[in-house]
Amino acid sequence: MTSSLFEVRSLCKSYDEGRIEALRGLDLSIEAGESIAITGPSGSGKSTLLHLLGGLDLPTSGEVLFNGARLGSDVDLDTFRSRHVGFIFQAFHLMPTLRAIENVQLPMLGWSRGGFNRAERAGELLKEMGLEERAGHYPNQLSAGERQRVAIARALANDPDVLLADEPTGNLDSVNTARIMEILAGIQKARGMTLIVVTHENDVAHAAARQIRIRDGRVEG
Amino acid sequence: MASQLSIAGFVWKNLWRRRVRTLLTLGGIGMAIGAFVGLVGFSRAFEQEWMRIYSSSGTDIAVIQQTFLNTSVDESAAEKLKALPVVALATPMIYNVMDLTTDVNALAYGWKADSYEFKSLQLLSGRTLRDGQAEVMVGDLLAGNLNKKVGETLEIQGTTFTVVAIYHGGSALEAGAVILPLDQIQKLSSLQGKVSTIHVRLRPAPAGEAPEAYLKRAQAQIEAALPGLRAVPAAERAGNNQFVRLAHASAWGTSSIALLIGILGIANTMAMSVFERTREIGILRALGWKRSQVVVLIQLEAVVLGLGGGVLGIGVGWLALSLLAALPETASIVSASFPLRLLPEALGISVLAGLAAGALPAWRAAQLSPVEALRHD
Repeated sequence: MTSSLFEVRSLCKSYDEGRIEALRGLDLSIEAGESIAITGPSGSGKSTLLHLLGGLDLPTSGEVLFNGARLGSDVDLDTFRSRHVGFIFQAFHLMPTLRAIENVQLPMLGWSRGGFNRAERAGELLKEMGLEERAGHYPNQLSAGERQRVAIARALANDPDVLLADEPTGNLDSVNTARIMEILAGIQKARGMTLIVVTHENDVAHAAARQIRIRDGRVEG
Repeated sequence: MASQLSIAGFVWKNLWRRRVRTLLTLGGIGMAIGAFVGLVGFSRAFEQEWMRIYSSSGTDIAVIQQTFLNTSVDESAAEKLKALPVVALATPMIYNVMDLTTDVNALAYGWKADSYEFKSLQLLSGRTLRDGQAEVMVGDLLAGNLNKKVGETLEIQGTTFTVVAIYHGGSALEAGAVILPLDQIQKLSSLQGKVSTIHVRLRPAPAGEAPEAYLKRAQAQIEAALPGLRAVPAAERAGNNQFVRLAHASAWGTSSIALLIGILGIANTMAMSVFERTREIGILRALGWKRSQVVVLIQLEAVVLGLGGGVLGIGVGWLALSLLAALPETASIVSASFPLRLLPEALGISVLAGLAAGALPAWRAAQLSPVEALRHD
């Protein structure tokens, strides 16, 4: 039994029938409420690790334990993603046909809860992101920074335990990068969430309390 | 504050996003359902008109040989039937389809002058025909199309007949038909002494005997008296004669092909939609949507296409039936009333078509790996 939020043991992930090894026996422990930056060169396995931590994929071997339960066997991955994880992507990945407030409601639509006002919750989250006036806009009517803030609101919709951000500032200028990192740090502190950010950028990495460097599919150092 | 996002709203936005493709798909399935409503409605209306012939004349049983168009029943069998205790009236007749003009062909009945069937007709002008005379009675619908009046002549297969009456029949099949003396139609067809069928009206059932049991007993009695012939209840005869069966088979055959094409249209639209939205499906999965929820989303989109096409098709089919009821060539076999029974059937088929068309694309969408889907361009 472990007290860590995530316990990663001997994690391996290979593609193309084993010809590409993204992770090679990675071990890692993450406590609840930590703020972590995962860094490393391109192809080192950062995003693969994030996908496995977020239950988007299953490892080739090894295991990821969340609160002691093994993802994919003890815990159903869909349920895990819906209730415990919020994703933020570099390319925002908002639905172009939905308004900002509707995009924020998408995770809530996937987890049906009786008597829950999705629009009200989405409105509150957009207000928290400073986007109250932009709630009715479509993604193509928003700036890149605004889109990423909508994506953060969406990631918070189901009140997850963990925020996983894959290069969240990769498509932003320095002003918006600073703002997004400020928002993420604020959320992490205020809600006591675990924040795991994959990044290439030193400024973003240094904002995290703990930095993990990945090289050749293993934790360096 | 903006409205709450629902699955239905999400489905609608997805379909409306590519509205030209959605409208074309709706048009495709709409034409298919329209073909179903039009063709099956036509064949059902045809069957109903046949039933009206029997019900309006009070015929309980039709005595036939084996098949509907086989005019090889001996006319003399009518006399044997009249001698049976269950039989009140028996009248021999011939049905045929004859060319009246180059454009119009119509049902031609051969009746004897004393046939009880005349009582079901309403004479609008003239008198009933006489045996052995070159006389013809014309249904009002047909008379209108041919512009014929009493006293004028009508040439049928090379013989000139005098129009002695314009009548209104209980069925569109009668209103659009001609009635000739039985002997005249036998002469035209070189079938002297032969008839298509003998219509029988039974005596009332004895007290205490159920109508169904009485009908069965009468059938058995007739068939025992006339070996080689069949006694068929009127309702069965209306729905199971070769004209009606042919109409049903053609209608279902043609509309099945149209429906198959419509289903393939929806399937193609949904398959393209799933392919184009691969990344979006990956996003939904990343946001915690289950495979089953993705299946429901895609299937709902397909069902909405099917149902929308169904509503459109019902309108198209209704228009087609109205047109057929108005055209001189088909007015005699289709009444203007829309067969309401077709509505739930058409809508049910539309939903099933949507589900069938959406099944494979939905399954494919559900099988997508979230990571692979997110990488999709």
